[in-house]
Amino acid sequence: MLTPQFKALYKKEFQSFFKTPLGYVFLVIFLFGLGYMTFEPGRGSFFQMREASLRSFFEYVPWMCIFLVPAVSMKLWADERKKGTVELLFTMPITVKEASLAKFFAAWTFIALALFLTFPMIITVLLLGRPDLKIIFLGYASSLLLAGGMLSIGSFFSSMTKNQVVSFILTVATCFILLMAGSPPVLDLLSAFAPKYVLNIFESLSLLDHFESMSKGVIRLSDLAYFTIMIGFWNFSSVVLLNENKAE
Amino acid sequence: MKRKTENYLKVVLGILSMGLAVYITSTMFYRVKIDLTDEGIYSLSKGSKTLLSKLDSPIRLKLYYSKTAANKGTEGLRAFNNYFLYVHDILKEYVANSRNNLTLEVIDPRPDTEDEEEAEAYGLKRFPLTETERYFFGLVAIGDSGSEKVIEFFDPNKREGLEYDITKLLYSVLSPQKKKVGILSPLPIVRDDVSPYMAQMMQMQGRPVEQSWPIINLMREFYEVKNLGREAETISGIDTLLIVHPMGFSDQTLFAIDQFLLQGGKLLVLVDPHAFAASMQNGPSPQMGGMPLNSSPDGKFRKLMDKWGIDAMEGAFAGDKYLSGVARLSPDEPPTRLLPLMVCNRHCTEKFKDPITRGLEQITLFFPGALQAHQLEDLTIESLLSTTDKGATYEAYPHELADPSLLWNKMEDGTTPVIMGMKSYGKYKTAFPDGLVIEKKSSDGKKNDKQTKTGLLESSKDGVIIVLADVDFISAQFAFQQSFLGPTVANDNSALFLNALEALGGNVDLMSVRSKGHINRTFEAIEAIEFEADRKTEKKAMEINGNIMRFQQELTDLSKQANQDNMALIQNESLKKKKVLARQIVELKKELREVKREGRERVEFIGKIFQYVNTLLMPIVIVIFGVWFLHFRKKKKRDELTASGTKKLMERSL
Repeated sequence: MLTPQFKALYKKEFQSFFKTPLGYVFLVIFLFGLGYMTFEPGRGSFFQMREASLRSFFEYVPWMCIFLVPAVSMKLWADERKKGTVELLFTMPITVKEASLAKFFAAWTFIALALFLTFPMIITVLLLGRPDLKIIFLGYASSLLLAGGMLSIGSFFSSMTKNQVVSFILTVATCFILLMAGSPPVLDLLSAFAPKYVLNIFESLSLLDHFESMSKGVIRLSDLAYFTIMIGFWNFSSVVLLNENKAE
Repeated sequence: MKRKTENYLKVVLGILSMGLAVYITSTMFYRVKIDLTDEGIYSLSKGSKTLLSKLDSPIRLKLYYSKTAANKGTEGLRAFNNYFLYVHDILKEYVANSRNNLTLEVIDPRPDTEDEEEAEAYGLKRFPLTETERYFFGLVAIGDSGSEKVIEFFDPNKREGLEYDITKLLYSVLSPQKKKVGILSPLPIVRDDVSPYMAQMMQMQGRPVEQSWPIINLMREFYEVKNLGREAETISGIDTLLIVHPMGFSDQTLFAIDQFLLQGGKLLVLVDPHAFAASMQNGPSPQMGGMPLNSSPDGKFRKLMDKWGIDAMEGAFAGDKYLSGVARLSPDEPPTRLLPLMVCNRHCTEKFKDPITRGLEQITLFFPGALQAHQLEDLTIESLLSTTDKGATYEAYPHELADPSLLWNKMEDGTTPVIMGMKSYGKYKTAFPDGLVIEKKSSDGKKNDKQTKTGLLESSKDGVIIVLADVDFISAQFAFQQSFLGPTVANDNSALFLNALEALGGNVDLMSVRSKGHINRTFEAIEAIEFEADRKTEKKAMEINGNIMRFQQELTDLSKQANQDNMALIQNESLKKKKVLARQIVELKKELREVKREGRERVEFIGKIFQYVNTLLMPIVIVIFGVWFLHFRKKKKRDELTASGTKKLMERSL
């Protein structure tokens, strides 16, 4: 899979985030926003909870990701298709699958970097108390998987439309629905017309439930399978779409 | 067009199949997991597993959860939905470890159905959500013999106690026969209990209601409690003997205790150099003179203890400033650190790794005493509870008890922990080698008959004794808190007490479950700062109080000098003094406020520093890096361009 073409595209895509100020703006907003929310004076404030864990930090990760990830993913294909560079790309000796995965992994690495840059939080809790580092590690792993899931959705919508804004909005909406899928008000709304098994299926799609289940310190095969299926399915769909649309 | 429809169809089909795949894997693989939490909150502890392995008859578990109703509720109910998943998960673990003896049924009781009626009949708590919807979240366990036990409601805030609650439920279904505990004490711990209704009636009539201590009611959940009062001629027919505050026992009672132990009896003894609960029982304490010390054991009981290898140090209190609790002495005073109020944390229990105290994090003791071991043949003596390394013993006189600052100043930090809980087991020797001489009045009432009672000289079976150096920790005031449901457990005090009883009763399974999942993860660094600040303010406050007392003394001295002639002068003088005093007190109080503010500000400052570091540091670093990188790239490009430009020029000129 790791062909030289894949590597080259991956490298180029990853670097592209740093070649425009946009990448830096994303990072700054993400890090500042997450830090601010974690310390925000309120009932869940990190410093007021006096708990040597990153619970109040991870609580906000999904809500920061819901804006950052679509912003990162929107340009993956929409931009190339609008400018027409996608045709140029596919004249090169690279398959659609490789190109799609290279772009996906490059963006995922960028988000991983964003998450990595929150490391002062870990130092903070280590200085203040004795946290359970395994839970913190799992929290980061689940954040990464959550971002991966959202990114694959973004990649799908980006390959569907030529307009970056449309791609952004569709991704945010879908991610929001998936985040809220396990929430009682949403389930109640659905229960008005959907039968119970549909409700169960819908509930099992909840991004937030799987994310929280994992960030509490338990690795469940079902959570891992969920994120694998999500990432796999949306990426596969985006490859199918690109194959269909590349001529357009 | 056709192609487009086909594409949309593909996408819809794809989404549907993804949904199905996720659902199937979510349900199929849910149980396959690795629990990485330190507390192992997603796995069963050894005690529960042992209990489950002993199951030999089927038990049906019915988990009631109003899922449909919860979905109609607010977003806040998501916590309950999540907790339901957790409870369900843990219950599935129980079933998996039960060798098919447990069956689990999950019921969503809808309004006006049989399920709802049943849930109500079992006594589960219900909460109305809407006009028709009611919310249930409880568990019913039904044994083979038809015995039913319930957990009325699962509270998400009590997640730590979940496994214990469930194991206790199974245990109570399994063994309806309870062990017998006899209680011997000069304190009125056990009373003939009246029903709550009767108690209310009596209260309304203005009659005093005498009730057992709440700990006794908790004990009754697991044991049959037999009150032996303060005297016993012989002790038999019980499994464990609990002795609280041993003082003033007759020789006969002491002999009975001795013989009970030698017959392989099990003893839990609570001694206390100053039992506050006992003092309160004797009525409120006199004001400034302090209260009399109410200490146990007395000299006679000490002789008995000599044979146990455990000594209660006479007149010594265990103190540890680092464990001192914060409380108010009266409603209008600010809370202060009190040396006698000791809140034991993991530092008190961790090092002993004893199942009785393992995992207990918050044991509140009041005026605890100190224990010492002396080695005896055939006996093993182990410690199970102590202060931190900085603990030390101190002596206190009655007039000092009411003055926390005096005690605080008196005690100096030590270097070795002071032991407050010990156990000894093995073969004991009697404290009555010559038997017991009993004087009995003869029938004519004139002559005393002397009779010698003899018994075992040595243990016939191994005995066990646990001694804890505090009585107050099981009293209502220190172990329980009032809620609208009546007294509820406030800390780990009752766990310590029940652990000790269970260790003696041999029911180790439940014991290892009790103190699970309770790891304290506080900001230790911040606590240390606050503690230091508290100590400083304490010092300042004492200084101020000392000054006030001195001024007052001066004023009284002055008024004593007054007589007919100099009355007016003295009055004038004292008025002046009073003004000076008031000014100085205001000044000192200001200083005290300053010290307190400094402590608070230091903590706030640290909070702010961390906040700035976490919100601003990385963004600034990124901005700097970005500016540098973009600038560097531009420069590089320019250089390249100029280089290629010169190259091209050179080529052209060639």
